[in-house]
This record gives sequence, C-alpha cells and structure tokens, in this order.
Amino acid sequence: MKRLSAGLLAPAILLAVLVTTAPGDAQTGSDPEPNTPIRHVILLMQENHTFDNYFGTYPGADGFPPGLCVPIDPNDPGDGCVEPFHIGEQPIQDLDHSRRTHRLMYNEGRMNGFIHALNQLNQNGELAMGYYDDRDLPYYWNLADEYVLFDRFFSSAAAGSFMNHVYSVTGGPGAGRDRPTLDGLPDDPTIFDRLEERGISWKFYIQNYDPEVNYHDLVEGAPRPPQVEWVPLLSLDRYLQTPELFAKITDLDEYFDDLRNDTLPAFSYIKVVGASEHPPGSLLAGQRITRSLLQALMQSEAWSSSAFLITYDDWGGWYDHVPPPQIDEQGLGFRVPALLISPYAPRGVVDSTTLDYTSVLKFLEENWDLDPLTERDALANSIGQALDYEQEPRQAVIVPSQRYLGPAEQGPNRLLILLPYAAGTLLAVGLVAAAFRRSRKSGGPPVGNEP
Amino acid sequence: MDEAARHRVALAAILALGGLLRLVHLGAIGLNSDEAVYLGQAAALARVPQLADLFPIFRAHPLLVQSLLAIVMRLAPVDIAGRLLAVAFGLATVWLTYQTGRLLYGRTAGLAAGLLLAVMPYHVVVTRQVLLDGPMTLFATLSLYLLARFAIDRRPRWLYAAGASLGLTVLSKETGIVLLAAVYAFLALTPSLRLRLRDLLLATATMALVLAPYPLSLALAGNLGTSRSQQYLVWQLSRRPNHEWDFYPTAVGPAIGLLVLLLAVIGLLLPRRQSGFQRTLLAAWITVPLVFFQLWPVKGFHYLLLIAPPVAILAGAGLAQLPPRLSLDAQRRPLPAAALAAVLLAGWLGVHAYQAILGPSQGRFLAGSGGVPGGREAGLWLADNSPQGSTLMTIGPSMANILQFYGQRRALGLSVSPNPLHRNPAYQPVRNPDFELRTGEIQYVVWDAYSANRSSFFSEKIQAYANRYHGRAVHTETMTFTSPSGEPVTQPVIIIYEVRP
Repeated sequence: MKRLSAGLLAPAILLAVLVTTAPGDAQTGSDPEPNTPIRHVILLMQENHTFDNYFGTYPGADGFPPGLCVPIDPNDPGDGCVEPFHIGEQPIQDLDHSRRTHRLMYNEGRMNGFIHALNQLNQNGELAMGYYDDRDLPYYWNLADEYVLFDRFFSSAAAGSFMNHVYSVTGGPGAGRDRPTLDGLPDDPTIFDRLEERGISWKFYIQNYDPEVNYHDLVEGAPRPPQVEWVPLLSLDRYLQTPELFAKITDLDEYFDDLRNDTLPAFSYIKVVGASEHPPGSLLAGQRITRSLLQALMQSEAWSSSAFLITYDDWGGWYDHVPPPQIDEQGLGFRVPALLISPYAPRGVVDSTTLDYTSVLKFLEENWDLDPLTERDALANSIGQALDYEQEPRQAVIVPSQRYLGPAEQGPNRLLILLPYAAGTLLAVGLVAAAFRRSRKSGGPPVGNEP
Repeated sequence: MDEAARHRVALAAILALGGLLRLVHLGAIGLNSDEAVYLGQAAALARVPQLADLFPIFRAHPLLVQSLLAIVMRLAPVDIAGRLLAVAFGLATVWLTYQTGRLLYGRTAGLAAGLLLAVMPYHVVVTRQVLLDGPMTLFATLSLYLLARFAIDRRPRWLYAAGASLGLTVLSKETGIVLLAAVYAFLALTPSLRLRLRDLLLATATMALVLAPYPLSLALAGNLGTSRSQQYLVWQLSRRPNHEWDFYPTAVGPAIGLLVLLLAVIGLLLPRRQSGFQRTLLAAWITVPLVFFQLWPVKGFHYLLLIAPPVAILAGAGLAQLPPRLSLDAQRRPLPAAALAAVLLAGWLGVHAYQAILGPSQGRFLAGSGGVPGGREAGLWLADNSPQGSTLMTIGPSMANILQFYGQRRALGLSVSPNPLHRNPAYQPVRNPDFELRTGEIQYVVWDAYSANRSSFFSEKIQAYANRYHGRAVHTETMTFTSPSGEPVTQPVIIIYEVRP
C-alpha cells in the first residue's frame, strides 16, 4: 500500500482551484419576479421539418393517418399516389419551401399538392412523403418520451424561414417578405423591446456569430448569409445601432458561459447555424448540438426554473397531413415539430393545443406581464399551458442519444435464477438438519477432551 | 451457577462482544467497490428501481449470497441492511467456531476459540463488509464441524451433511472449492477413518446437487449468464499479480494477530495423544487455502478468511494448554490461567480491531479492508445534483462502482482495458474518451485519491480530460489527516468535475 503522493494531489487541487474560480460575465440577477416558477425561457429554432416528417409514426401523436396515399397529381388521380416511406440513409435535397409552394401543397385545405408542387419545380416530389423515425431521431424521440411533444404546433406563416423568424420575435410578418432585403425590417416592436422595457434580461445566441455581418452586407442575387436570413434583429437598425441592444446578440459560446456562471438571461433565443438540420444537413449533428445545449442547462442552477422549447422555423417542403388553421392572410403554416423540456413538464405527454411561434411570445408576456405585440400573440395559446406547476419540479433527465425504450435489458427471469439457489440451499439445510436430529436422539454432540 | 451455565453466559458475552465490535460505526463509512457490486447485483435481482439497470446480475461469482441480499434489498434498499446481514454471518461463524473448538478440544478451548475469532481484527473487519468471504467462511466452518463429527462417530450422515455444507461454501464463493483438497488431504492422512467408497461418492453427489444451482441458473439465464462466466474464467486465468509475494504475511498476518498465530502453532504442536485427528483436520483446513492463495497470482486481503476459524480453534487449544490454575493469592480462589490469558489477548486484539474500524487510510485503500471515505457522500451528491441519466468517467472501476451504487448514475472507469483479456468482463471500457466527451455522452469526470494512488498515469489522464473539456469542479470530498508534524491537514480525496464539449 503506497501513500498518496503529493505529486499526484497537487495538480488536482490546482485544477480544482483554477476551474472553480474562472471569471464569468456578470449578468443581472434582478429580473422582475415572474408569475410562474419559470425564470428562464429558452427557444431553440431549428430548420425545415414538419411534424409528420419527424414524428409521423410516434405512438399516440397525430401522425400519418392509416392508409394515407398522397396523389402525385391531385388533378389527375390516375397518376397514382405515394405512401409515406422511411427515408433512412437515402440522400435528400433541400425541398422548395416558398410561399407559392406552400399554397400549392395546401391546395385550399385538401393537403394533397405536396408531390405535384415539387414536381412542377423539377424536384423529386415523392421525397416529400419521406419520414424519419426513432432510428434516425433517437434523441428527439427519447425527449418526447420524457417531456412534452406538441402535435398541433404550426409555423406562424405559410412561408419560409425569414418570415417565420420575424413572427417569432415580433408576432407579425414584418415587411411581408419572405427573405431579408437591403431595406431591412420595419421598426416594429419586438419581444426584446418589451423585455427591455421591464428590465428583463435576454440574449440572442448565434452559433458561429460574426458581428460584422448584417442585412447591409446582402448582395442582390448572391447567397444570403445564414445569420442574416435567420436572425431578424440583424435586419433592424435599432438593434444594430444601439450598443446595449447589439451587445445582447452574441455567440453561442456565451450560452455555456452564462449557464456556468449562473447568468443565463430570462429569455434566450438560440439560433444554430451549422447543425440546424436544414436539409440536406445531418440530423445527427443537430441532435448532438441540441443535446449539448440541453445537458448544459440540466447541469446548471438554471434548470430548476427553466423551460426549453425546441422547434423548427418552417415545414421545409415536407409532407404534413393536418391542414393549418387559416387565421389571417399569412397563415398559419404547416405543422412543425416542437418539444418542451422543463422540470414542470409532465412526463411523456403529447399536447394537442393549437400553438405557433407567437405562443412563445404569449408565454413570455403572461409570465412577466408584458403587453402583447400584435393581435396574433394577444390571441395565441401559450406554451405554458403544457406545464404543471403543481407538480414538484422534476430532476433533470439526460436522455440517451440512442433509442431508449425503458429498461433496455430486463435481463433473465429472476425466478429462474433464484429457484435453483433456493432448492440447493433447502437441500443442504435439510441434510444438515437431518444429521443433527438423528444425533440428538442418540445423546447430543460429544465434547472433546481438554488438552 | 453450574459449569454449563457459566459456559453459556461466557458464550453469550463473547457473542455480545463480537456483535459490538462488528456493529460499532457500521455505517460511518460507505461501501467499497466490492460491496457496491454485490449489493448492486442484489438490487438487480430484486429489481430495485434505478440500480437494476446499472448493475448486471451475472458477474464473477455464484449468486447464493446475492440472492439473500436481494431479499434484504427488497425489504430495505440501503447499504447498512447488507452490512447487517454480513455481521449476522460473522457472528454465526463465531458461534460455530466455539462449537467446533468445543467438539475438538473441549469447552475451554471452544470458548477461547470463539473469543479470539470474535475480536480478531481480520475477521471483524471483513465481516463488517458486504463480501462473499464471510458467508463462505461460515459454511466452510460448518463443513469443518460436520467433518469433525464424522471423524468422531464415523456415521456417514455427517459426511453427507459435510458434502452439502461444502456445496453451500462454493455457492457462496467459488474459491471455496479449494477446501475439497483439504478434505481429501484430511481423509488421506487419516487412514483410521476407514472411509467407504460408497459414502464418499454419496457425499460428493450431495455436494454436486447443492452446487447444481450455479451452472443451472447460468444455463437457464441463457447466453448472457454462460458467456459472462466463460469470459470471467478467461480473465481470471490471465490476470497479472496485483501484490508482492509477501502480501499475506505482511497484510493478513498482523490482522489475525501474531500472538494468535503463535498460539495456533502451539495448538498444532500438541502431543498426538491430545490432538489425534484434530491436528490433521485443522492443519489441512489451514494449509490448503494458504498454499493455494499464496501461489495464485491475484491476492486479496479477504481471500484468506477461510483460515481464521481453524486458526482461532488451534489458538484456543493452545491457550487451553496453559496450567489450569494461576494462584495469585493463596487466600482467594485461583484464576484459571487460560481464561485470564484469553481475556488479556482478546482485549489486545479488540483494541486493534477497533483501531482498524476507526482508521480510514490517508487517501489509501486496500480492497477488502473497509469502506472508502467520501465515496458514499460523493455518490449521494451526484444523486441529488446531477441530472438523471448522467454518465461519469472515473479513474478506475472501483470508484465507478461506488458512485454508480450511491449516485445511481452510470459510471465508467478510464483504466478499464479495451482488451477483453485484461479486464473484468463486467466492466465496460471507454474506448475513445475524447469522442465520448466531445459528443456529450459523458457529463462528469471524477478524480479520486485512492485510484490516483494506484495509477498516476490514469490520474493525470483524467485531469487532462477535465481540463480539455472545460472541467469545472462542482463537488469536492475532503478528509482531514494529521501531518507528520502533528498538524491537521485537509486534502481532497474525491473531486467531481462537470465537463462539456
């Protein structure tokens, strides 16, 4: 047995001291008291999938109807139809998801124009009927088993990324255009303005953020920088020109620092640029980054008062069978996947309340007594209705990245193990007892001679 | 009070003393790695929530003790419940040692043997822990007793019962099979027994029948059970020595007590007319395990527990040899010298046993010698403060077992070899720690002084991983030691780092 050497101990102590005293940003801890136990709302906006595309075969959810077969050409039933199929490892492409394509796919509520609309654009329309399941999305399906899955969460606009992102921060369509332009966005109030007015902390975290790039850098006809396409604040002069506001648009690395330093703001909007799951991007990479974001939250002090919503900014050209309610000329758009993770989330619930991105705004407004931004968010249902504040806050559950269906290995039948041992033990006890019983009849045990 | 009553009172006092030494501070320090494994197996058998998913049922040994522990875990799934069962086995062994000593050498020797075992630091320390060696030693001592009965009255039923008891010995821990050689040596060296082949075969068949649950349950459990056992056998046969050749003399000898060993030698040297077959039987019961485990490359502090009862019996016989009366004062009743010597020796052993109970090591740990300070507390911290489903990486599998039991979080040992020939098949290696950390599969990294003391290489590795993946110390267990200058010094023994990609 060797003594612990000081040489081994010293680096450990040094490391412990170094990492526990790392400096961090000072975030104000003076947010007004919320109306619920939720002090931190985190919105992760991923890219371009429908509910049916991700959860169409999830048990208990409003997935593909039985016998579904979508006509190749809704105007010519003789052309045949395509049933939903598992995509698996097949190569995919970025399906068109413009306003025009949305309209054709919707087909006045008949929901049968998906293949035809894409075929008209010389895309493989049948691909729209492809879906993923727990083989491809084990982490998200595990999350659904453990927390809340919304199966009536719609995109706010019958359009693509940009307008839906604008809805998610302003409750309105902005300039009514589906892409950022050199004109920028009209100076509509945003949810961040409302938070600022009440002195409530917020940050917009962007992966691989370049503070030098905004809508002024757009070039007609050239590819648009993703952070400009997906971050409406970078098209708002007020946010670009006001240092206090601009400072709150920051790199995603700061999210992790804020969690570690217990300085996570009240509202965090996260935009992942590299692993956004935008087709044909990797689903695995998307799940990985989502997992790292969630795990960091779960390991932090903020977990116990947090609500983390994962959703998708538009339908991406994929099939979905539920006709979106038409509440105004902009939408709603097709359903998108949405998962709510919180210590107050009931376990494994599929929630069918009609929601859209403005439902997040609604929750923020209700939680901190903010004024609504538009009629949309004023009338929206809140995502908060899915949370059960009467239940004890749940301990965080890090769900595995592999599909987990309860205790994976129930193992062998315990009786088959225990019964033979019981039988062997009883046999031995019986034999020993019999030997003693017969001995007792013959006068008990002898006593050895004292040496 | 007649002599028989006095003996009963003395026996009760011995058992009370043995019980006191085994129960005092029983839960002060949490489980060590082996204890965590056996209780984890029991929890898996009993389907205790959380633990059942973390500990495989089939590991190395037969499952008799784990099956009993499973009942305990079903009723009270806490560490102390398992230790109380271990104490019960230990006290039962003390009682059986008394009975065997009494049978072989008379009441005085029996009482002395029981007393010496009750306070023997080695037996006290091991039977305070949830280990298989305590129950194995109980059944081995029962076999010894039954064999002695057979040697005395030559009735074959004792031999059959001894066969059954030996079966239970092996069902407790497979290393008990070495006692078959002891039985053979005893029978071969005692020709006066005139053993009939039929009786021998029947006794062997009895043992085989009692032993049958081991292979039977493996077969009934299917591929999982048999493959795990085969892997374990291969691993055991290819393990490298873990201690020097003098490990038993230097670690176990003092724990038994050098005076006790000396007395045992005296008992062994009793004139043949006084000892008869007893000497052969006890010598075989001690020598065979001693030689086997000395030659076996892998050594463990608790492996030699089998020899503690026969050593105590021989020492008791040696004590009983002292002059019958020691007259200190002509006016008063003379004291029995054996009793006085036994009490003095027991007092000395008891103090050592108590010191062994109290004396946690300074960041050191010898498997089988006690609990691991801080392990339970660190595990409970993880259970309360880490997300369910978290995965930890420790320096080695020992701390992983402890944290897995108390923390109810999966724990992987960095030092577990990816080569199946060089690792316990129950352990899962971390084939690519960087990948696991980078992809968020591992959320905590744990450094501990005990494992670091065994391997500076893996200690440095784990610290490098903590550093590389933004490690933040979120919990530290410390211990206060007395420095060589006499000053109290507080040092960390377990540090839990939260890591992220």
